[in-house]
Amino acid sequence: MKKILIIEDDPSVKKLFEITFREYDFDFISCENKRSAMMLFLSHNPNLIILDLGLPDGDGKDFIKEIREISKVPIIVVSARHEEKEIIASLDFGADDYITKPFSTNELLARVRANIRKINENENIKENIICGELQLNLVTRDISFHNENLKLTPIEYELLKYFLLNPNKTLTHKQILKEVWGAGYQNEMQYLRTYVNTLRKKIEKNSTRPRYIKTESGIGYRFCCNTLEDK
Amino acid sequence: MKKNMYIINGVLVLFLITFISKLFSDSLDIINIALLHIIPVVIVSMHGNEKSTIFITLLSVIFFNFLYVPPLYSFNVHNELYIWSFIIFGLVGWIITYQAKNLHSQKRQNEIKESLLHIVSHDLRTPLATIHGSINLIMNNKNLDDAKIKMLLEDINDSSLRMKRLITNLLDSARLSSNQMNLKFEWCDFEDIIGVALEEFPTKLADENLQLEIGNLNLYWGDNTLLTQLLINLFDNAFKYNSNNDLIKLSIHANEKSFVVTIFNKSDTIDNKKIKNIFDKFYRLEDTNDISGSGIGLAICKSIVTLHHGTIQAISKDNGIEIRITLPILKKVDVV
Repeated sequence: MKKILIIEDDPSVKKLFEITFREYDFDFISCENKRSAMMLFLSHNPNLIILDLGLPDGDGKDFIKEIREISKVPIIVVSARHEEKEIIASLDFGADDYITKPFSTNELLARVRANIRKINENENIKENIICGELQLNLVTRDISFHNENLKLTPIEYELLKYFLLNPNKTLTHKQILKEVWGAGYQNEMQYLRTYVNTLRKKIEKNSTRPRYIKTESGIGYRFCCNTLEDK
Repeated sequence: MKKNMYIINGVLVLFLITFISKLFSDSLDIINIALLHIIPVVIVSMHGNEKSTIFITLLSVIFFNFLYVPPLYSFNVHNELYIWSFIIFGLVGWIITYQAKNLHSQKRQNEIKESLLHIVSHDLRTPLATIHGSINLIMNNKNLDDAKIKMLLEDINDSSLRMKRLITNLLDSARLSSNQMNLKFEWCDFEDIIGVALEEFPTKLADENLQLEIGNLNLYWGDNTLLTQLLINLFDNAFKYNSNNDLIKLSIHANEKSFVVTIFNKSDTIDNKKIKNIFDKFYRLEDTNDISGSGIGLAICKSIVTLHHGTIQAISKDNGIEIRITLPILKKVDVV
């Protein structure tokens, strides 16, 4: 059974996490502050961490830094909507994903599952990556959509490849620009917006209701590879 | 026009004072006359506008100097002490203007606070009542069938989404009216913005009732968060006042100079007088009191559009209402 470490100081939100995880057969341990969180992490070695950013004994971002020095465990940050800057900073510090309050349990579970699964998959690198109707062959550099070869410009290919290699993870604008366009392009938002728009026209049925490339407003994008269990 | 009436009033008072002073000039000392001439300055500067204060102060000084300060009927001043009188005129005007400005902004903030309180107490209660009522019904009624429970749960879900939107609007409203609003300009993709805005509504509602028409659009230079909120509020308003689940039409097109967004929904006829007030803060159509939400949404739309130097108008047509927004293109995107 997968074990989740919950770090949340609000009792009712913590209870909601606990009930949800109990109901869906996850094992969990929980605490209200950073100090006990580190102790629980070291003694229980959880598979995933749910971290509220505003903790009584300090900034959650420092906790991410401390964890990242010793472990690659997936971290999902919980915060309020108006804390956009905080969310971006946490993701850049190494958090894998975020959810904002109020959140739906469906959303929470989908993100928890996706992040736990990712850790399993990363262990063995495959040459074929499949996501919904999309298939990427890393050796031949071909991407097919509905079993047909998808015609892409070089940058579109690099962007889609980056998305396919980082599925179900919130990627900040900066991260994408740096990885796809290169260092020095971190602030060239117009490239990213333009290419996401053209890419959507090629792979989304309805580009205002995207299935694959979802916008995380003010933060970045996440590439959704939903399997049946997420729905 | 009405706004600037006080300047005319000030000038009229000045004429009156001149008339009285002239009439009793033999029995009035020059000090009294000087004091009388401060009255128009006080009247105008209470409105807290620097330009009008400067204007009326100069006018008062000129009148006073020309008519009463020896040598009479000239702008020359023999005794330098009078220069001090003129400076004091200016000083009085400046102090009152400054204080009046503070008072005005305090008053405005109080008004905003009051309206926000009103919304919190009234408009958050409406969805809360649905949530509270539905939950009580489910908890106390063991015989409810699954279909009914599902319906109640959907109501709870919709209401909580509505509360979420309202809270976002309240935060934005406080932000927009605090004058510290700094726009965060960046390249925005309107298709993307529509997608994000639609996520705020139940999928079924948006998919069944909405017809989108999006032209070939370049990126737009604007504040992404605010433009998203603009679209959310437009959708919210259209869904709310859409009388019998008719189709809502949203179109976005661009021309050389601007982006034009229009949204149309069928509704009961609204007379033109009311339609003008639709963007005023906390205005609500009288006969739709039972419809939840508040006028705050469209008022925020107007603030957002104004901040982008655009225009927003409501037009009554085809048994419905169309809201038309023109956003000027402030910066053209370099083709990648």
